[in-house]
Amino acid sequence: MNPEKLKQLLDNGLITADQFAKIEPIVTGKIVSVYYELRIVLYLGVTLLTTGLGILIYENIGDIGHIVSIAGLVVLTVATFWYVFRYAVAYSDERVKAPTPYYDYMVLLGSLLFISVLTYLQVLYALFDDGMGATTLVTSAFFFYVAYRFDHLGVLSLAITALASFFSISISPQKWYSSDFFETAQLPIKSIVFGVVIIVAALVMERKKIKRHFTFTYVHFATLIFLLGSLAGVFMDDDTTLIYLLALYGGCGFAAYYGRESRSFLFLLYAFAFGYTGTTYCLTDTVLVDIGPWFFYLLLSCGGFVLFILRYRTFFKRSS
Amino acid sequence: MKHAYNNSWLENLLVIKAAGAWKSGKLISNDQFLHIGDEHKVGFYHPNLMIRLLLFLASVIALTGLSGLLALVIGNMGDEEGIGVMMFFYGVAGLIFLDRQLIARSHHYKSGVTEGLLYHSALFMILGVALFSDASTYTMTLVFLIVAGFSAARYLDLISSTVAFCSGCYLVFQICYDAGPLVQSIIPFVFIALFAPAYLGVRKLKKANGTEAWGDCLVLVEVCCIIVVYAAGNYLVVRELSTAMLGLYVEEGQDIPFAYVFYALTVVVPVLGLAAAVKMKDVVLLRVSLLLVAFSVFTFKYYFSLGHHEITFTAGGAILIGSALLIYRYLKKARHGYTAERVLEEKWAEANPEAFVISQTMGGNKLAAKDGLGGGGGEFGGGGSTGSY
Repeated sequence: MNPEKLKQLLDNGLITADQFAKIEPIVTGKIVSVYYELRIVLYLGVTLLTTGLGILIYENIGDIGHIVSIAGLVVLTVATFWYVFRYAVAYSDERVKAPTPYYDYMVLLGSLLFISVLTYLQVLYALFDDGMGATTLVTSAFFFYVAYRFDHLGVLSLAITALASFFSISISPQKWYSSDFFETAQLPIKSIVFGVVIIVAALVMERKKIKRHFTFTYVHFATLIFLLGSLAGVFMDDDTTLIYLLALYGGCGFAAYYGRESRSFLFLLYAFAFGYTGTTYCLTDTVLVDIGPWFFYLLLSCGGFVLFILRYRTFFKRSS
Repeated sequence: MKHAYNNSWLENLLVIKAAGAWKSGKLISNDQFLHIGDEHKVGFYHPNLMIRLLLFLASVIALTGLSGLLALVIGNMGDEEGIGVMMFFYGVAGLIFLDRQLIARSHHYKSGVTEGLLYHSALFMILGVALFSDASTYTMTLVFLIVAGFSAARYLDLISSTVAFCSGCYLVFQICYDAGPLVQSIIPFVFIALFAPAYLGVRKLKKANGTEAWGDCLVLVEVCCIIVVYAAGNYLVVRELSTAMLGLYVEEGQDIPFAYVFYALTVVVPVLGLAAAVKMKDVVLLRVSLLLVAFSVFTFKYYFSLGHHEITFTAGGAILIGSALLIYRYLKKARHGYTAERVLEEKWAEANPEAFVISQTMGGNKLAAKDGLGGGGGEFGGGGSTGSY
């Protein structure tokens, strides 16, 4: 922003002299905040460190050094959690402000290190008999605990992904476009049930006023899983297409409704993208076999949609 | 060149956006923010990012339908050249509709529909020229440069800016390439000699009067210039591009020409950039230089690796965490004009996207853990180098 513009705001009495004194160094770059740079560096550091340690331990299992390395890892985990608990703020149903600027990253680091220890023990001693399944569940439970106790959205999203993968639903973009996603036969049903359960749970907690700022993350993941699952169902089997299409429309309806209620238009985008893809797929299969009508359909449907949004633009405005 | 939008509205929009950031940074009250909004009227239709994306997707599909229908009608009329001319004028018509109707009358400003129509028209103009011209490399690069440059300058479009910049780079490369082996061997130095002054020029332009509307485009070009200057001196880039595009063959035990110059540049450019950024308090240069340092580490690791990436990961992670925490400590109070406090909230840094990034890069795909813990490591998000957008 132009510093002269700021001066104008002061001259027109829109900001006070005090505020001008505070804002002016920011606008002119006399004071520079490296808050976000440091956070990104921290985040990269945590990612690299935990990835590196994970591979290191996995590859050196059975070596003489592994006792030392696991001991080191445990010490590091304990130290991180000691820090986390030492500065922890008491639990609250509301949003909690982090006690130190990098506290969130310590929580994240501790959680990921703990998972490394757990995986290590699992591989070495087969702590849980049936392999990865139970480990994922324990992981998820642990993440949920940490997320609620220390109010951490990142760990919450890890907890949800872990829980989903316990039911063998993968919510990673890498999987979306690989063929695996559609071939798993039971996936659509699982995803739909999982999505509904999580959404209901999230809305119940929202109503009970428990960590209401978590609702978005829950609903976001659950909606995505639900929509992906039902879309996969539409693609998969001709006999059940109609049922899944109805489920898909239900999901899109919910997404559109929730998006408008919560003013997060990301959900409207999802509703459009999934609903349109499903509809177009079914129509292409049945009615629009020729290319001409198909182009006509694209033009009319999307053109109409654009006009609709432009016509009712106030409906889609963010209240400010 | 003038941009297509109402200038005073655009200036007001910039004020309101800045005021919005001050409001969320608790520097001004909500009432003041609303008051500033009242005093700075903006008549644009400029929806939020998600609606923009939605409108963009929908209008691109609708336009695809339209052009498909037209293609069916006129597809058999005329030869290739005639169709090329028609496509070109279809593109021009789209641009005129965008300019006169959507922007001038309906007051769209980066609404998603504008981008959709802009790219659609640009694509048809370029394809049209490809059909009725000789479609040589020079013609096509120039067409790209002109169309994208025009879109960037008149519609303040960031993607067009990037495309225009890249076609400019490619043009320079092609000219040097065609100038014979002697010039070919000094291509990296030509790039440095051209884009280092360009960087300084863009910086100056950014601060000049009356260029505020193009601010985001200029920041983007600035970033591109730094990257090109660095890449032209980076050992990995030079070596791989020489092998791929100039047919250079590096034998065992031998190295590319001027190898030591490039080793030196790989180290010196990011370090100098970082030092200059810290000294001048240039946030753009600082962010890009940090990325370049990481890429330099990767460059040396790529050719002189002792294996053991896990040790590099672990040590690198520990160093990053350690230094970040130290800097936090040091900058708890503002020193030398730097502070670790958050003074303004950046748009992309809300908690919700952050949570999503964490789940995708870290927990991501626990299913894969069954086949071993490998993988899932190398996703360095890149961290928003053009923060202002």
